[in-house]
Amino acid sequence: MTLDWPLQIGYFLLNLTIVGLYGMLLSGIVARTLAKVQGRIGIPVYQPFIDLFKNLGKRTAVSHGAMFYLGPVFRLAGGIGTLAFVPVLFGSEMFSNFNMAGDLLLAMYFMFFGQLGMAIGAGESGHPFSAIGIARGLGQMTAYEVPFALAIIAIVVQYDTLSINDIVAAQQGGVTHWTLFTNPLAVAAAMLAFLGMTGYSPFDVMMAPNEIPIGPPTEYHSSYLAMMTMNRAVFAGAKLILFMDLFFGGATNLIELVIKTWAIYMVAVVVGAAFPRYRVDQSIRFFLRYPTLIGVAAIAYTQAVLLP
Amino acid sequence: MNELSLSAITLATGFGLLLIGMWGMLVRKHIIRIIIGFSLIDTGIHMIMVSLGYTRGGTAPIIDAAVERATAVNTVVDPIPSALVLTAIVIGLGITAVMLAYAVQIHTHKKTLSIDDCTDGKW
Amino acid sequence: MVDALINPLNLVIVGLGIGFLLPLVDGRSPAIRRGLFHLTLAYQALLPLLWLMWLADGAAAQEIQTAGFGPPFSINLRLGLEEALFVAGVNLAALLGGWYLGDLLRDRAAAMSAFLILAMGIDGMIMTRDLFNLFIFIEITAIATYGLLGLERSAAALTAGFKYIIATSLASTFFLLGVMLFYYLTGTLNIDGMREQVGLVQGPIGMVAMALLVAGVVIELKPYPANGWGLDVYESVPPGIAAMVSVGVSAGALFALYKVLPLTAPYLPAMAAIAGATFLVSNIIGLKQKKARRLLGYSSIGQVSLVALALLLLTRLDQTAAIPLVVGGLFVNHLVAKAGLFWLAGALSRENIADWHGLRARPLLLVLFGLLLAALAGLPPFPGFWAKWELVMQLSAGGMSAWVALILIGSLVEAVYLFRWFGHAMQPADETASTPAMPQLLPVVFAVLGLFGSGHIAARSFGPDTLATLLPVYVAIALMLVDGLPGRLKAMLTLAIVAIYSVFIAPELAGLHRLFGILLLGGGLLIAAASLYRDDSRHGYYPLLTLLLLSFGGLLQAETSLQFFVAWEFITLSSYMLLCMGRGAAPFTLSYLIFSLGSAFLLLAGFGLAYAHSGSAALADLVRVQQGSGWVLGLLAVGFLTKAGALGLHVWLPGAYAEADDDFSAMLSAVLGKATIFGLFIAVMQLGVKGGAATAVMYVVGWVGLLTAFFGALMAIFQEDIKRMLAYSSMGQVGYMIAALATGTHMGWVAAGYLTVNHLLFKGLLFLVAAGVILRVGQREMYRMGGLIQNMPFSFFAMLIAIIALSGVPPLTGFGGKWLLINALLEKGWYWQAGLAFFASAVAFLYLFRMIHTVFLGQRKRAHKDLREAPLPLLIPQGVLVLVILVFSVQPNWLVGPLAEIMAGHAPQTLVVNGTLVQSGLGYWDGFMIINVVGAVFMVPLLMLLVLSRFMHVQKVKQFNIVFAAERPESPETTHYAYDFYRFYERALGFLIVPRATAFWNGVTEWSHSLGGGLRTFYTGNGQTYALYVLLYLVALYLAVGGST
Repeated sequence: MTLDWPLQIGYFLLNLTIVGLYGMLLSGIVARTLAKVQGRIGIPVYQPFIDLFKNLGKRTAVSHGAMFYLGPVFRLAGGIGTLAFVPVLFGSEMFSNFNMAGDLLLAMYFMFFGQLGMAIGAGESGHPFSAIGIARGLGQMTAYEVPFALAIIAIVVQYDTLSINDIVAAQQGGVTHWTLFTNPLAVAAAMLAFLGMTGYSPFDVMMAPNEIPIGPPTEYHSSYLAMMTMNRAVFAGAKLILFMDLFFGGATNLIELVIKTWAIYMVAVVVGAAFPRYRVDQSIRFFLRYPTLIGVAAIAYTQAVLLP
Repeated sequence: MNELSLSAITLATGFGLLLIGMWGMLVRKHIIRIIIGFSLIDTGIHMIMVSLGYTRGGTAPIIDAAVERATAVNTVVDPIPSALVLTAIVIGLGITAVMLAYAVQIHTHKKTLSIDDCTDGKW
Repeated sequence: MVDALINPLNLVIVGLGIGFLLPLVDGRSPAIRRGLFHLTLAYQALLPLLWLMWLADGAAAQEIQTAGFGPPFSINLRLGLEEALFVAGVNLAALLGGWYLGDLLRDRAAAMSAFLILAMGIDGMIMTRDLFNLFIFIEITAIATYGLLGLERSAAALTAGFKYIIATSLASTFFLLGVMLFYYLTGTLNIDGMREQVGLVQGPIGMVAMALLVAGVVIELKPYPANGWGLDVYESVPPGIAAMVSVGVSAGALFALYKVLPLTAPYLPAMAAIAGATFLVSNIIGLKQKKARRLLGYSSIGQVSLVALALLLLTRLDQTAAIPLVVGGLFVNHLVAKAGLFWLAGALSRENIADWHGLRARPLLLVLFGLLLAALAGLPPFPGFWAKWELVMQLSAGGMSAWVALILIGSLVEAVYLFRWFGHAMQPADETASTPAMPQLLPVVFAVLGLFGSGHIAARSFGPDTLATLLPVYVAIALMLVDGLPGRLKAMLTLAIVAIYSVFIAPELAGLHRLFGILLLGGGLLIAAASLYRDDSRHGYYPLLTLLLLSFGGLLQAETSLQFFVAWEFITLSSYMLLCMGRGAAPFTLSYLIFSLGSAFLLLAGFGLAYAHSGSAALADLVRVQQGSGWVLGLLAVGFLTKAGALGLHVWLPGAYAEADDDFSAMLSAVLGKATIFGLFIAVMQLGVKGGAATAVMYVVGWVGLLTAFFGALMAIFQEDIKRMLAYSSMGQVGYMIAALATGTHMGWVAAGYLTVNHLLFKGLLFLVAAGVILRVGQREMYRMGGLIQNMPFSFFAMLIAIIALSGVPPLTGFGGKWLLINALLEKGWYWQAGLAFFASAVAFLYLFRMIHTVFLGQRKRAHKDLREAPLPLLIPQGVLVLVILVFSVQPNWLVGPLAEIMAGHAPQTLVVNGTLVQSGLGYWDGFMIINVVGAVFMVPLLMLLVLSRFMHVQKVKQFNIVFAAERPESPETTHYAYDFYRFYERALGFLIVPRATAFWNGVTEWSHSLGGGLRTFYTGNGQTYALYVLLYLVALYLAVGGST
């Protein structure tokens, strides 16, 4: 397969911009929505953009060493890379990114790239809260990874492929072909895992955003923080697209993409607005209990009902 | 036919001595008595050996005028057990002597001849 | 004249003559007397040795007649090959034992003659062909023994001797009665004559006759529980005498058994049962024993029973051709090693085995001791090893698998107490004990040389290729002789030897063997090169390291299962010894050895069964095993899993990996562990695809592999000690390889190969980094480190590369392994297992982050301010490993492609390598493209930050310049988040890692010790009880066999 590299890179930069902007906007929308739920006025939806530019404009920065400096680079590269390995729109060469480099497993494992780099960078700051936050985050990650992996296995078995494009293709031809309706157990397990992935309440103890600064961003500021904000947008976008591709039929145009990803995201937001925070050991046990059981049931269901 | 043959008497006596000796070895606590038990066993065995070689009404195993050369195999007493018994007696004597020497030494060291006090090694 | 000198009858005549002559020269000249004594022994030893050579060259067996008549009219003796072997062995032991006893016998002419007569009596027992004469010789031996037992007039020795007399005199009484009954029934005393008329021995009298004869001989062999008298003697009489009783008298009794056997065929099964039970029970009781000499007694009884058992079972199978090698080998092994150990025990004169510490300070003693124990445990190159191998093969072929199991379990139990003893000897001494004089050690040295020599001869019977497998030992011995050289020079020497050897064998290796050749020898060399960082002498380290590395070559070149097994045992032995050199390793060496030997014995059983089913000993013929392939695979798999540290069998692993020398830990985990995978490959490739029971075995192995992966990772995250963490990590990673292998598919094997290569790279790297850090910091607990990135940037970088490669995050090599593994599992249909694999690999992130954070990131301790980077000899191998990881990261198809070719042909192939693209039936992966995309993507934010930095004032700040909740951090110790890093995880999932396996194995240990304690309560110490046992043995024998027919 020969690639038209310049063109491909151009397409990808376009995708990156779209997803990045959309991601930023989404976080503004979410903040606004949550404020309404709680009876506040809240920030304007464009506030994240203001914050971003403000952080980028800071003129001083403190560094704790080379890895600290590179931490946000790893983080953002992780977000962008994940997007690079996920096709954004089905059937569109322009929006297929570098999906040809690897399949679903690549996307799944590349998600860790940024987290690991970030963790190491934050670790060099020497701040104990960074390390505590990372430890909790990693611990929680191992737990929600289980239902997520089981759900993925279920649909890989169902569609007999690891290629994201083929999985989307198999869901074309009507709403009833979506994984959501053909394999609801797998989707349930994956969506529960998704709650952990997004880091909203009740699974936000590793960031504890409301009271003390904890977690990787503790020591990061100015441009570093700006890059991390950008990553949140891109990475969240990439994950949403991945979920949409795997479970909700993918999207053939940008409108469909926006609607679907917004809807998926709102699940986490609504749950976050409604539930108080878990302690980290509680959330670990939570994910390893019902979500995992659902995941196990999903595989059994796929094997017993869908395959014959 | 009712009369007891010599060999049967010897055999029975031999076994009797053997059993008495066994009893002595296993039950009596005094080391000297144990040694006597062994001697009885030994003697019993020797008697059994001799009786096994005896041929009823046989004669001494010397080929001379009294014995027909052709029928000698059936008429003479088997000489080998008698010869073996001699060796066995010598050996039994040797062993008894060693046992007695041990008894003396044990008495010198432990001032007792009870086998129950000779349980130095165990596990 | 010459004919007269070499007449075998001289063995009896000269022994008896000089024996009675000695007291006559009493008083005149002690020197002449002593000279005569030793000269006689030397003559007695030389004569059968000469005959042994001639007979081995094909001379006819010597029939010796007496009194000018032929049998049956007079007594005749025979000196055939087997007689010559036993006589030579006994007389050589007597020669060395006489030398050893020199001081004790010095002024006691009677004792000297008793010693000569004892040797003569045993020779007679071996050579005579007349049953009554056998009785005479038994009694001569007995009386001489009684005399010698009373040599040291301690109360314990005297009472022990008296018990011995009671028991053996009863036994010989039985024997005499049995002889007479046989004579009565057959009319002859000649054994050969009786054999022809054995049909006459029948009916009740015949059965009684046999029972008496058998009991007479068997009691002499000290069967359990009628053997307390023998043990007391071993414990209390001078060791030189005990040695003679243990090896000499037993040899005579064994040969008597050999002669009586054809006459008492109906009793054979009963005798085998007695021998087997005695072998097993005496070894189990040995577990409880603390006194060195009594322990040797238990071992002695066990070994003699094993020889008897081998003889009985081979006779039963009618495999008389194997008897010389098996019985001869086991006998010689026992004779020399046991005598050597008795002598050594006497020379050291320490009663309790726990007092044997401090031998480390005296290398010669330690080496002798270790070699003798290794011989007793049946390790190569000693004769017992070859004998046991052949025995297991013959028994397996004869369908006697239960006996094989009994023998192997007994041997394992024996190894436990023998090497526990060795462990005591390795402990540092707290006082300076007297060093034994050289004359006392000389016989021990000869014994060890004799073991090597006889082992060599035994190996020769398996052909030149097998003989070549002994090469590593000889090289190691040669290196041991130059052990005085400086450490680094020895390291260079080792590297040079192994490098030359590797180049030499490289052309012979192909396919899988070449892959593992590169891993084991190439990787081994690289890791071995790291040992240059130490400049101390490391006595014994380099010879053993050479042995280990060369044995890898032996493993690769092995064509028969025997050659494989020899190399395997060398690896076990050398790695055990190397492990023993670790400073804190003492508590863990024993479990390492026991599990390694257990693994080896399982392999032995598996190979035996394979031989039984395929009739071939070639490794490549495992594939011909059809029926029973499930059992063979099961045994081999469990054997390899034990050595790999699979879950439940892993209890030895963390301690061993953590406490070995730092550079040797790298060797253990990164290289040595691959030998196990190699073995598993060979077994699985040939047997795993057979279907039937083999499929079930593979399924179970697959689960075990993944559970190992998961629990290894889970246990790793809770470790404070960096090497323990890496140890558990190794366990987990090996679990993936096992699981991948167990799929039995082409994809799975490629995955296993890939994981193996990758694991060598990153785990070698991690252990070497750890070695450097430990060298500088002087500690292993990670929370005592921190912030070392500033001092050791390259080490940090190496660890970073390693943990990315381990974690499976693209773009480094790890991802390929995960991709292949998950694809293999999914293609196989092992969906739950794939889920577990995901979980395990996520858990691995936890310990990886913990490790790199706690050691290199966070707050640096004040004391560590001036630490330097690790030394160059450690960094260079790390650099090479990093380079290789990076190369395979850019071009993973350079690895996947050859692997796909190697694994092809055994199973259907779904993996397609197309340029840089790798495709499976499910997905695809282009490593080259990934790393390019990732590299490009990484450049975007990097450039962005660099540009932004130009407009910013970036300031490097000090350690404590952090936003710390409005407090001022006080010290690195209180600010470094490191200790008990995953407390919350323990709260959530801690219930999973309760050490159940450890508890189980502790239970097994305790239970077997209690069993030993229970079984030995039969030993009341009372001579009369023992006499009763002897009598009951006779009765039981008759009732069990004679009474039932």
